[in-house]
Amino acid sequence: MTLQATSSLSRPWLTGVREAIPLLGGYVPVAISFGLIAVQSGFSPWEATLISLLVYAGASQFLFVGMVAGGAPLWLVVVMTLLINVRHVVYAPNLAPVLGKSRWWPWLMHGLTDQVFAVALHRLPQLPEAQRPGWFAGAAILAWASWVAGTVLGAVAGEWLVARWPLLGQVMPFALPALFLALLAPRFTSRRWSLALIVSIGMALLCALTGYTNVGIPVAAACGALCFYAVKLPTSRQGDNDKGGNDE
Amino acid sequence: MSSALWLAVLASAIGTLLMRLIPLLWMQRRLERLDGEDGVEAMPRWLALLGPMMIAAVLGVSLVPRHADATAWLATLVGVLATLAMWYYKRSLGWPVVAGVATYGAVVILAGML
Repeated sequence: MTLQATSSLSRPWLTGVREAIPLLGGYVPVAISFGLIAVQSGFSPWEATLISLLVYAGASQFLFVGMVAGGAPLWLVVVMTLLINVRHVVYAPNLAPVLGKSRWWPWLMHGLTDQVFAVALHRLPQLPEAQRPGWFAGAAILAWASWVAGTVLGAVAGEWLVARWPLLGQVMPFALPALFLALLAPRFTSRRWSLALIVSIGMALLCALTGYTNVGIPVAAACGALCFYAVKLPTSRQGDNDKGGNDE
Repeated sequence: MSSALWLAVLASAIGTLLMRLIPLLWMQRRLERLDGEDGVEAMPRWLALLGPMMIAAVLGVSLVPRHADATAWLATLVGVLATLAMWYYKRSLGWPVVAGVATYGAVVILAGML
């Protein structure tokens, strides 16, 4: 799926669906795990499915069912769930300048996950404005549907699947880092950007390794941003300016 | 599921949706106020920077294998190199992902045979 600088699509939603397919490699195995864990935690398959349908935020869903199963007070479960998801507040403002004026956007925000944001931030500026809602709807709905379908599968047949194809569950999640890598590669436009991005990746890796995965994401992003402003390297290329993230 | 638990699910769902929706409405109003200005210029600088940094952070987190043994780390390293090599060659999104996953899988299978 080669991406062109400005492309005109006859069916943008279908292109969105096609370009979101790499997300499935990361979504489906994790969703199957969630369905399985939710059922093991005492939720019925349809309750697990409804959580995926309504909350639709991976890490926080795991926390939700885990805390409920552990007997935590429900107010604390809700607070912790929302705290994990607070990183989402920066996604829409980053996309807003390229979204255009369609009235559909507020209705599509339920589908704005980490992964959909990453793909949309890269892809939307390359599309004509009229085609962006269609593209986003296609990509977001496929991702949402795969998350819900994976949950159903995990809740109903999770144990059997893991026993039958253990390698699949081990290999497919690598699709997510591979996708993020392909999205970030064009942003290494200068030493300043490269250093900031590497700091952010490294900090997040460190946080994940020490068990602070969810808090690690905003912390690592903030460290990368601080690094960008704090470290002044000799300007060598255009990408050194503050808008380098949008300059490829 | 009890009524209280349903309320907790709904509160989590609505809260998460609002965290995705309200910042969009805020930014759209800001863009309207700065009518005529380039969209990227209208965005606070720190916010324009934070987007790519968030992706980098999610990448960092996702690099940690779920079963972090030596094989998984080796497969991750080789998969990253294969992904970057394919990106350099094709400059696209799909092929680097395919190359990365295939290489990761090949390393896992080969390591299992040793």
